[in-house]
Amino acid sequence: MDYILDVQSIHTFIGQYHILQGVDVQVPRGSITALLGRNGAGKTTTLKSILGLTPPREGKVTFDGRELNGMRSFDIAALGIGFVPEHRAIFRDLSVEENLKIAERRKGDLDRKREMIFSLFPDLKRLIGLPGTSLSGGQQQMLAIARALVPDNRLLLIDEPSEGLAPVIIEHMMDAIRQLSKESTVVLVEQNFLVASQLAETYVIIEEGRSVTSGKMSDLKQDKATIHRYLGAA
Amino acid sequence: MNSLAAIFRQNRASLLTLLGLVLLPFIAGMFEGASPAAVWVNAAGTSKFIQGLAIEIFILALYALSFDLIFGITGLLSFGHSMFFSVGAYLTGILLKSFGLNLWQTIGVVFLAAIAQAVLFGIVLPRVKGITFALVTLGMASVFHILVMSRELGDYTGADVGLQGVIVPDFISPANERLRFYFVALAVMVLAYLLYQRFVASPTGRVCVAIRENEGRARMLGYNTFSFKFAALLLSSITAAFAGTLHCLYQPIVSPNTASMGFTVTALLIVLLGGVGTLNGALVGALVYRLLDFGLRRYIGESASFINGAIYVAFVLFIPYGIVGTWMLKSFEIKKGWERLVGMVKK
Repeated sequence: MDYILDVQSIHTFIGQYHILQGVDVQVPRGSITALLGRNGAGKTTTLKSILGLTPPREGKVTFDGRELNGMRSFDIAALGIGFVPEHRAIFRDLSVEENLKIAERRKGDLDRKREMIFSLFPDLKRLIGLPGTSLSGGQQQMLAIARALVPDNRLLLIDEPSEGLAPVIIEHMMDAIRQLSKESTVVLVEQNFLVASQLAETYVIIEEGRSVTSGKMSDLKQDKATIHRYLGAA
Repeated sequence: MNSLAAIFRQNRASLLTLLGLVLLPFIAGMFEGASPAAVWVNAAGTSKFIQGLAIEIFILALYALSFDLIFGITGLLSFGHSMFFSVGAYLTGILLKSFGLNLWQTIGVVFLAAIAQAVLFGIVLPRVKGITFALVTLGMASVFHILVMSRELGDYTGADVGLQGVIVPDFISPANERLRFYFVALAVMVLAYLLYQRFVASPTGRVCVAIRENEGRARMLGYNTFSFKFAALLLSSITAAFAGTLHCLYQPIVSPNTASMGFTVTALLIVLLGGVGTLNGALVGALVYRLLDFGLRRYIGESASFINGAIYVAFVLFIPYGIVGTWMLKSFEIKKGWERLVGMVKK
């Protein structure tokens, strides 16, 4: 199997707390992989460890054959990893256009991707000149995802995309994620199992800082016992 | 031709202000019946006095502008900003007076020193953040303050008395060629302001704004945020040092107070008065700050600083976004201000 991202038993500390105590994640190229688990299980920390924002103390992270341990987070991002943090982390002091422009890694990235981004998120076209402060929650989430699409990212890490959004907007966002997964591999952290199960092809369940099980999403959907045990949802 | 008219329309207020500042010395002269010709040859009188006050404001504005770039735009709180200014002021004086360099050589050395001090601040930049950066920069500026106050270097710096007896080249002498000095200071301020505006609007400047809002996010996008913070620091350092050079040329004495923390607070106050991160707020703030200080001192005397302080507190409470910031938002916070005041008293 061809894995674009290979996380091997990483251990991450935040302060004195041993948050990740052995997490393995294998992400097949071109797939959507969901990181599942309860609140506080370590899903977001796993994403941040991949990006070097909370560097793992042990274990190995390999992206497209290249080891990321010890690299600075902006160098890791520059390899082609886009991060869409939770809480729709856009720059509120910048306009929509500037938010997109700032994500350029090479000159002209935005101009090349503009059509694609507007076809995914038609709303952004209308909002392009507005300041980030005047966007609704859903629009901010769209912008945060769109921003990760501006450079040629080979991997997108998306943290809690459905959090706090209205159902109709979640539908729209899921469509968008499906579309963009045609261009790039996606790793998704998602609390909402319904959303995750419809989007992802593979999954990893993280429980108390350890990856406990992984496999095909289609198998997990049949396995009510595992869902109940680790996710508390039926 | 059309685009020229468009530029004029868009910047009408700024251009009219600039025109007003160019004409100011002559208009000020008219009030006491001095002809523009008399003003032109630097005759003593109201106009010359007003020019002097304006030059001080231009220099302060330049200094505050450089502080707004790192504090207001990039979000770096430096408590060592007075060092950026006083290195320029002292070095200019010492090189002219003790080393006999000419003005252009002096400016060249000040330029290099400005780069060197930006590098010095840059060394600590990636290692400390937020309030720690403020304290470390305060420490570095304090070392410089102690150095200029020290008796060992007194022959050069004048120690606690201040650096005096600097011979300013005739062609820019503040006594005999004040009008020329006025226009030079005005031109430097306007050019710096235009350069800063371009910088902030540029992609590099946008990244600086993004860093102010959330440095982590900027790094996640693949930016080595250090280089952007350093670029802002470098531009700021050069501007402040050059403001210091003008200060040294204009004032008969460079006081060690310009190296003290109090002078950093002056920059902070001016920027707060005018509006943080607005650039033109630094210019408006410098005007208000200097006129308040001057007016109160003149009509009230020594107790002026008390009233001055009360005015600043009122400013922070009632117009927290500063003059320009409030103007842009078109909303005062009078009601909220009272609530804050009552809250403070109740505690």
